[in-house]
Amino acid sequence: MATVQVSEAEKVYILHGIRDDLRVDGRGCEDYRHMEIETDVVSNTDGSAKVTLGDTAVLVGVKADIGKPRPMVPNEGYVEFFVDCSANATPEFEGRGGEELGTELSNTLYKVFNNKHSVDLKSLCISAGEHCWVLYVDVLLLQCDGNLYDAISVAIKAALFNTKIPRVHISADEEGGKEIELSDDPYDCVRLNVENVPCIVTLCKVGHRHVVDATLQEKACSVASLIISVTHKGTITCTRKVGGGSLDPESIFEMTEAGKRVGKALHAPLMKLLQQEESLGKARQKVGFLG
Amino acid sequence: MLKSKTFVKKTRSGGVMKIVREHYLRDDIWCGSEVCTECKQESTALQRDPCMESNLCSYPHYVIPDTNVVLHQIDVLEDQVIRNVIILQTVLAEVRHRSAPIYKRLKDIVHEKEKNFYTFTNEHHRETFIEREPGESANDRNDRAIRVAATWYSEHLKKSESDTDPLKVVLLTNDQGNKQKAEESGLLVYKCEEYIKSLIGNPELVDRLALSNDDKNDITSSKVLFPEHLPLSRIQAGLKNGTFLQGTFRASRDNYLEATVFVQGEGEESTEVLIQGLQNLNRSVYQDVVAVQLLPRDQWVAPSSVVLQDEGAAKDDNEEEGEEEKELRVSAAEAARKPTGRVVGIIKRNWRPFCGMLNASIIKESTRHLFTPADRRIPRIRIETRQADALAGQRIMVAIDGWPKHSRYPNGHFVRTLGSAGDKETEQQVLLLEHDVPHQAFSQAVLSFLPTMPWEITPEVMVNREDLRSLTVCSVDPPGCTDIDDALHCRELDNGNLEGVHIADVSHFIRPGNAMDKEAANRGTTVYLCGKRIDMVPELLSSNLCSLRSNVERLAFSCIWEINHEAEILKTRFTKSVIKSKASLTYAEAQMRIDDTTQTDDITKNLRGLNKLAKILKKHRILKGALTLSSLEVRFHIDSETHDPIDLQTKELMETNSMVEEFMLLANISVAQKIFDEFPDCAMLRKHPAPPPSNYDILLKAAKSKAVEIHTDSAKALADSLDVARVDGFPYFNTLLRILATRCMMQAVYFCSGMDSDFHHYGLASPIYTHFTSPIRRYADIIVHRLLAVAIAADKTYPDLMDKQKQSALSNNLNYRHKMSQYAQRASVAFHTQLFFKSRGILNEEGFVLFVRKNAIIVLIPKFGLEGTVFFDSKTKAAPTVVFDEEGPSLTVEQHTFHIFDRVIVTISLDASNIQHQKIRMSLIEPVIPGVSVSAPEVAPLAKKPRLDR
Repeated sequence: MATVQVSEAEKVYILHGIRDDLRVDGRGCEDYRHMEIETDVVSNTDGSAKVTLGDTAVLVGVKADIGKPRPMVPNEGYVEFFVDCSANATPEFEGRGGEELGTELSNTLYKVFNNKHSVDLKSLCISAGEHCWVLYVDVLLLQCDGNLYDAISVAIKAALFNTKIPRVHISADEEGGKEIELSDDPYDCVRLNVENVPCIVTLCKVGHRHVVDATLQEKACSVASLIISVTHKGTITCTRKVGGGSLDPESIFEMTEAGKRVGKALHAPLMKLLQQEESLGKARQKVGFLG
Repeated sequence: MLKSKTFVKKTRSGGVMKIVREHYLRDDIWCGSEVCTECKQESTALQRDPCMESNLCSYPHYVIPDTNVVLHQIDVLEDQVIRNVIILQTVLAEVRHRSAPIYKRLKDIVHEKEKNFYTFTNEHHRETFIEREPGESANDRNDRAIRVAATWYSEHLKKSESDTDPLKVVLLTNDQGNKQKAEESGLLVYKCEEYIKSLIGNPELVDRLALSNDDKNDITSSKVLFPEHLPLSRIQAGLKNGTFLQGTFRASRDNYLEATVFVQGEGEESTEVLIQGLQNLNRSVYQDVVAVQLLPRDQWVAPSSVVLQDEGAAKDDNEEEGEEEKELRVSAAEAARKPTGRVVGIIKRNWRPFCGMLNASIIKESTRHLFTPADRRIPRIRIETRQADALAGQRIMVAIDGWPKHSRYPNGHFVRTLGSAGDKETEQQVLLLEHDVPHQAFSQAVLSFLPTMPWEITPEVMVNREDLRSLTVCSVDPPGCTDIDDALHCRELDNGNLEGVHIADVSHFIRPGNAMDKEAANRGTTVYLCGKRIDMVPELLSSNLCSLRSNVERLAFSCIWEINHEAEILKTRFTKSVIKSKASLTYAEAQMRIDDTTQTDDITKNLRGLNKLAKILKKHRILKGALTLSSLEVRFHIDSETHDPIDLQTKELMETNSMVEEFMLLANISVAQKIFDEFPDCAMLRKHPAPPPSNYDILLKAAKSKAVEIHTDSAKALADSLDVARVDGFPYFNTLLRILATRCMMQAVYFCSGMDSDFHHYGLASPIYTHFTSPIRRYADIIVHRLLAVAIAADKTYPDLMDKQKQSALSNNLNYRHKMSQYAQRASVAFHTQLFFKSRGILNEEGFVLFVRKNAIIVLIPKFGLEGTVFFDSKTKAAPTVVFDEEGPSLTVEQHTFHIFDRVIVTISLDASNIQHQKIRMSLIEPVIPGVSVSAPEVAPLAKKPRLDR
């Protein structure tokens, strides 16, 4: 992870500011930085989204392919994650430098998203035990400026919302052989229900308080942070502690409550935004990567 | 401007792939009209004043056909009358996707300058490109694209209006919905039929209109005659799990209710499935690729030996078909039953335009008529025409449009007329077309590769070439031969004899890969018809520069042996050379020189030496077990002015024939060995597989009936037993037996040595064989020449020559062309035989029974090499009692029993009562069977249908 050096004086400055609910960039403790979302940015994926959060930028693409369901859950499809830490984001990722972070991120993403409560995996089933859709979610880190988890989770939710899976028909003949037939209309596709897809809220313990969407400087002042995935109803689906320091039970409780609050507040405008963008249809001016 | 096209595709592994293609739109696509002042085009295809006079559109206009119009009415579009047509890219792409042959024809029209066809790339035009809307099918989108382009054109042409009448565009579509939408957007739109019918002064075009769906309905009754064809997906599933078999449909020539489907298996496991009855045949046409389902074993039948033709007036669709079908179902011995099946679906139609004649309907005013194809394996086709009177007695071409399940006959449309039936030119064209012989004049592209005249041997040519001009070389050929591709010489050496065979060096002139080479490879062989030769290479080469004529210097490829007096080869050498033939002799001339002891010139001495050696060579060969088979070949004496045959005789063989043949065989074998040693993977060789033992059944049975034993264990045994097979008082028996033996043989084929392991040539009893000696008339020889030239470092190689896959594909084409040319030759002989008998009237001749069928005997007349069928049942009068014994085989008619080889006397005459199919009529005179035989020379309408095309 990209690191910044913070001097003792700076640390004290940041700590004191946060104690008074005032952060270096003027935000309160539970405020996010400016966020931009654009969907359908990569034409050869089935769904894609680009999210910038402050200077953090991530790109998520979803590809749907036909595979075999897992034997334990024959009537469900599944989701695969891969996180690519581009050396564009920070020179540290060059070569195999980003691998460790990539694995760590994707492991967390599996925990958060790959379950039937988060994504409607049953709708990915084509024929039980034989064919199902596999969603390959590829995450590309374009720029790192703290709070990767939150940016990635928002981008994944947006990309899944944007995902169009081609409609398939199973034709069975009398001998029982099954054949998958594709519709020849490119507009004939299935959309995923992303209502329950959670967003991740990372809370950083700085001094005695905690902040949402920490910048790199704030992160450097923190000893530990808590990752909480929250659905639109405020249900917590996953929590995880990262960082070397320890958290006392009381502050964990406080942080979870704060995470719930922030997460719930994050979902509603996000969905509204996505639907608004969708309703523009083809008329929408695409921004892409140069805008 | 950049757009992207997105579509999803299924991958071979069962996955799904989303494919995104970039699609660029342009501003610089011009309209192609002469009138237009806006477009900065360099050349225009569409004329300023398109004149297609139509009483629907009296104004000048361009035509835009939609995809279905092009697909179904390509015959109309090809007509010279239809000009100034805009072909949209959308249409072109769809046609290409749907039918490759029609796409090719369309491309050909577009390239033809006089037709003024213009391809408008509307899909890349900024103003006419449209994207598919949600909920729109691909077809709807394309229809919309066509409408948008048509609208653009009418707007565009309006803009560039000057002083003349406004140019308009007319959209042709048969789709009701499309038409309506086009009318709504203010376009001029007509149905194709409407438009064509409105064209003034071209009534024959209407006949070329293919029948569209709604027309078909009123032609046929609604009763469903045939089972529905299964959809392709079901067929594929069935093929996968083995319930269906895929094969090529082969209709029987003799029986229209019977066919076989040839199922290609792995290696030798090819099988044939028998199909019987109209319902089971289920609208398959000869050469279609079909899916068949095997019937349960208890419903299997044996192929019937009945000869059955679909004749007479059009059968009503409702009429019960039972009677003729019942005739088929004669209980057969269990052993004779064959796997029987029924056609469940068509995988690929293989329809082409068919030659034939019109069977005018009995009802005079009727516009629907039956068309009888020349090829009996093709069913009769129902066509609609108003010019039946004009077409009667003409040979015409007809294309099939479809075969609905409630129609007894396929529906088709008239394509063109070839000329009046019976006319020599017409008939020749028919048989060339029917046998798929490419016979057009050579194109300019091909001719451009000919050497320039006057041609002479330059020093560059002499590099790597031996100068053999001093040798006494001569050629021996049939009379009238102008494409001399082989010559011989024989020179006494100190130790023995030096022998040489010189073959025309065609590969020097035909360089690999050029247009001339491709054309020759496609033609594969020169086709010799009676009185006409269809050359494989242009005449300048075949009859002049390559032909080893006497007293001119010619390039040759020589195969020179050193042979001792016992005809043992001591040394073999191949070289490119230059020779100067001293004499071009005919077989008879050469024979005369050899026999005439007073002549002692060089050439004659040469010939004698050759002849002596050839005799020894032949003896060696026969000792090894080569077969001497027999088939009667006839030769016509053609009147030099009328080109009618005035006499007919079977070809006689002289010693010199066999002399030339021996040396050619020897050269072929030597070359085969050489190229195989040099290129074990890609030598082009010729093999003749040993026939399976069951092929000999008929021969063995026939011989047994005369108490003669034939051994078929090996070629040698067969040759020996044929040699001793004689019956006292029946001198012709041996020849007959050899004719039968010939019929048992397999076809010899070209193949690539890398693709096969069995090289044996059964008939010649040679372990390896190829064709080297006739490069002027066979393409295989050219390939062999090239291989040999590379082997002796006289020429360069090229990639295709060493590619065994390509070699193998080439061999397949050569085998096909070779087979077809033989069929065409036989058909030509048959036609001339008819002409001959037409002029000769009725003849009584002696003949022999060659085969016995269930209701007929097949008789061979040795004098004319003519085969014909004598039928014992007829539709006109009560059939005599006929008992067929399969074991004999023998046929008992009333009291008399016919066996194979029985001597009979028949009358031969030409049955010209039916111009449709003129035929040789044969009827029995001797033995006398009351009620069956006829008294000489009278002719009763008893026998029908000769079988000339065996």
